[in-house]
Amino acid sequence: MKRYNTDRTRTSIIVLQVIMMGLCLIVLGRVFLLQIVNYETYEELGERNSIRQEYVDAARGLIYDRNFNLIVDNQPIYSLTITPSNFDEANIPLLANLLSVPDSLIESKVKEAQKYSWYRTSRLITDIDFMTFSNIQENVWRLPGIGHQIDSKRNYPSKMKASHILGYLREANENDYVKSKTIRLGDKIGKSGLELIYEDSLRGELGMNYLKVNAFGQSLGSFTKERSPLPPVQGDNIISTIDSELQFFAEELMKGKSGAVVAMDPNTGEILALVSSPEYDVSRLAGRIDTEYWQEINTDSTKPLYNRAISSRQPPGSTFKPLMGIVGMELGIVTPTTEIYNSGSYIRGRAYNDLAEPGSYNLEKAIAYSSNTYFLSLMDKITTSGKLNQWSSLIKDFGLGVPNKIDLPSANQGIIPDSTYLDKRFGKRKWSLGDVLNLGIGQGLISASPLQIAQMTSSIANGGYKITPHLVKATQLPDGTINYRKAEHTKIEWVKDIYLETVKKGMRRVVLEGGGRYYANIPGIEVAGKTGTAQNPLGQDHGWFTSFAPIDDPKIVVTVFLENSGFGSISAAPIASLVIEKYLTGEIQKKRMYVYNYVLNFVPRKQSNKENE
Amino acid sequence: MNNFKDFNWSIFVPWLMLAIIGLVAIYSATQGPVSAFLPSYILNNFPKQLVWVALSVVLVLGFQFITPRSYMQLSYLFYALALILMILTFVFGTEINGARSWIKIGPISVQSSELMKIATILATANYLTSRRDISAENVRYALIAVFMILVPTALIILQNDFGTAIVFLSLIPVMLFWSGLPYGVSLFIISPALILYLTVFSWVYGAIATVVLAVLIFVIQKGPWLTGAALFTGALTVFGVNFALNDILQPHQISRITAFTNPNFDPTGAGWNVIQAKTAIGSGGLFGKGFLEGTQTQLRFLPEQWTDFISCVIGEEFGFLGLGLLIITFLFFFIRMLSMAGNHKHPFAQLVTVSVTSVFFIHFFINIGSATALLPVIGIPLPFVSYGGSAFLTNSLMLAICLNMDLHKRDFSIYR
Repeated sequence: MKRYNTDRTRTSIIVLQVIMMGLCLIVLGRVFLLQIVNYETYEELGERNSIRQEYVDAARGLIYDRNFNLIVDNQPIYSLTITPSNFDEANIPLLANLLSVPDSLIESKVKEAQKYSWYRTSRLITDIDFMTFSNIQENVWRLPGIGHQIDSKRNYPSKMKASHILGYLREANENDYVKSKTIRLGDKIGKSGLELIYEDSLRGELGMNYLKVNAFGQSLGSFTKERSPLPPVQGDNIISTIDSELQFFAEELMKGKSGAVVAMDPNTGEILALVSSPEYDVSRLAGRIDTEYWQEINTDSTKPLYNRAISSRQPPGSTFKPLMGIVGMELGIVTPTTEIYNSGSYIRGRAYNDLAEPGSYNLEKAIAYSSNTYFLSLMDKITTSGKLNQWSSLIKDFGLGVPNKIDLPSANQGIIPDSTYLDKRFGKRKWSLGDVLNLGIGQGLISASPLQIAQMTSSIANGGYKITPHLVKATQLPDGTINYRKAEHTKIEWVKDIYLETVKKGMRRVVLEGGGRYYANIPGIEVAGKTGTAQNPLGQDHGWFTSFAPIDDPKIVVTVFLENSGFGSISAAPIASLVIEKYLTGEIQKKRMYVYNYVLNFVPRKQSNKENE
Repeated sequence: MNNFKDFNWSIFVPWLMLAIIGLVAIYSATQGPVSAFLPSYILNNFPKQLVWVALSVVLVLGFQFITPRSYMQLSYLFYALALILMILTFVFGTEINGARSWIKIGPISVQSSELMKIATILATANYLTSRRDISAENVRYALIAVFMILVPTALIILQNDFGTAIVFLSLIPVMLFWSGLPYGVSLFIISPALILYLTVFSWVYGAIATVVLAVLIFVIQKGPWLTGAALFTGALTVFGVNFALNDILQPHQISRITAFTNPNFDPTGAGWNVIQAKTAIGSGGLFGKGFLEGTQTQLRFLPEQWTDFISCVIGEEFGFLGLGLLIITFLFFFIRMLSMAGNHKHPFAQLVTVSVTSVFFIHFFINIGSATALLPVIGIPLPFVSYGGSAFLTNSLMLAICLNMDLHKRDFSIYR
């Protein structure tokens, strides 16, 4: 009769009470551990759950031209964002449907966002039109994890394109955001032009906002009570050296042609206009990427993305002759009065044709009529007297054959040969006079970009000073202070005034009597210049014209390079003269309108003689 | 009611307190700012629960006029009816949260397993106390009692309600223990459950527990055979669990277990509930975030916060003070219930009261154990606190029966 034993009952009750009390104490201890001992851990976890940090984009800096005309600003656009951890992938078709895009696009965008971060919000798709945006906002409750933000895209209020200068923005890729703490997936960053070079100044600093969010990722307003938001710092504004009106004018002239125009202030190196043609339209790359257009300009055989003004490498042709003269005088091989006889060709191993009238030429006249004999003979003497390397280094002082420091990506340094270069190229001592001679007339191995020719011309025009071509003259901080860039201006020590005077006179005569007389002689403006033709073994020769004005107090240097256009005198020179006239007087005089019309309707002529002009 | 003073107020008052704490928590979990993110049918939970609580108060008090002997007389009939209802539920019932445990009778939905709980306790208790010579020491009687519990358990497992099945199974050791099963044997019966629990974390813990329990059984019972059997089953459990974990269980089942032992392994999937529950409780701190101020509760991070995870709401908004008060209240309630059982002369009343207390306790322990990650997440409600009409009503009914027998203990003779 054990079960009526009151002892057993009492013991059993106590056993059960003790067990229950023990387990209750375990539970209580567990709760104590969670709430008191580990409070801080869970408090933080809870906060991380319900507070979402949201970055606030800084307004990207604006870009002004030299006269403070706004040339790049920002325009608001709508973007959808995604927080992958809250997003249900089953909603992809619904989302794609609302956006009227294929499922696969959304799928790949979601994958990309997941790869970036499961918990951080990133942009899913940007620049959606207002109708689609409001349609999605109505359905957003069906799409947990999807949010929106107002972004901005670059806007170009001026008439000019200047695509190669300004450059475009593209969404940061994995490489970009892995490298930087401040860049997030979907952020637009500069990928070319000034947008790339000045990315750090233009971008500004991200701000931070704290939002209260629920488990579905819906934002329930800001959390300002508990945490004060961090306002973004606006990017610096950029004041460029570009004259937007002149740039637009030059772009118009270059329409339908392939080549480049560089206009700059010879005293400071400030670039007034820089055109590479064909152009692309940078405004079509703003906002959501127009994939079709992007592919089109990437595969176009005329390479619109290629910046010919700074990256093309061509023999400078006769535009090189004035510098040849300066170096020849410095090396003591000629003086301003040295006369060299032109018999119609220069014979050394073979006959080099000379289109200039036979007769006796001094340096000034040789430049004016572009006599090949004079400069071939000069080069001959330089080489035979063993001064080739000296020649090379003096040429480099004028900015040829060395990297220029312009604030644009992918500038090219070109080639000014010396014995080391020739040894490397042909093998040690495997080269001869014949490989070197035509360097004297800017042909053969020598190559330079239009920008370098403009730089060389500037140093001649400004009295022998080295300058650095540049596109930005100042940055404006958010507080309004303007930091001006210090322009380089150092004398090239060995250059004597007499050299420059002689050469300048020759260049003036080019415009008055020589190849420039047809189109480059502007009444009322003393223009000096030099035509040139770059031999092109692949097809029609390229035309050059480099010039400055006014001759006594130069305000502008203009270098024009036209691909496959034949003689520079009738292709490049008219363009240069129009740019000079426009810049110095603000308009084209009536009696020179024929030049303007000639340029607009220019079609390259078939040429017969390739040797010189 | 015989005598107003004889009514056991020390149990009735904590019971009412639990119900009120529950109402406050349900209000916060469904009517607070979180209501903006809840489906509309959940918004009615608070008013509905209010009605159920009021109804239950009337029921508990009204029950005091019944003569206790009628429970014994009707217990087998009730048991049979409840079994039939269970089978009907399995065939015609509606599925909620994967468990087919609800049946519609007219306009009301009834959770048949809740009624089955009362019926099983009454019938098994009645059987075990029907004759003087019945004792769980006798294997035949013990097996019949186990059978009476296992039949409804099997039906509940078929209904896919794992949590409730555990509650039923836990009745076996309690009722046999009370009916004379020796302490050592009782310990032997529950030892596999303990060893299993520990082996899930590591087989080393399981092995240590096996040895400790075997020694304990030897000390209590002095039986070498029983001790040997305990060692053997313990070892079998450790190996079995290891084998199941490594070779038998499907990945999704494994992931549930991992979610318990290491919730951070898959924080957005299987571990989500555990992490959110722990975060809610832990972030409450000492004083809590304040009524309707809990971010986990009000921003909908908690799953099932009006039923299975109601303790998280209390822990988050009222802190350690609130949750501690709840636990202490429960503990006081359990102790008083057991003391009440000890005061009975009649074995039926004793056994029913002890069984009912155990059922409440198992619910309490599993519920809070799940929310605090002491146990894997097993979805069962917290008695008298969680939302749920059927559960509240049947739990109150069980309590009413116990209180009624207590009130009438003097004229509730031990002899028939």
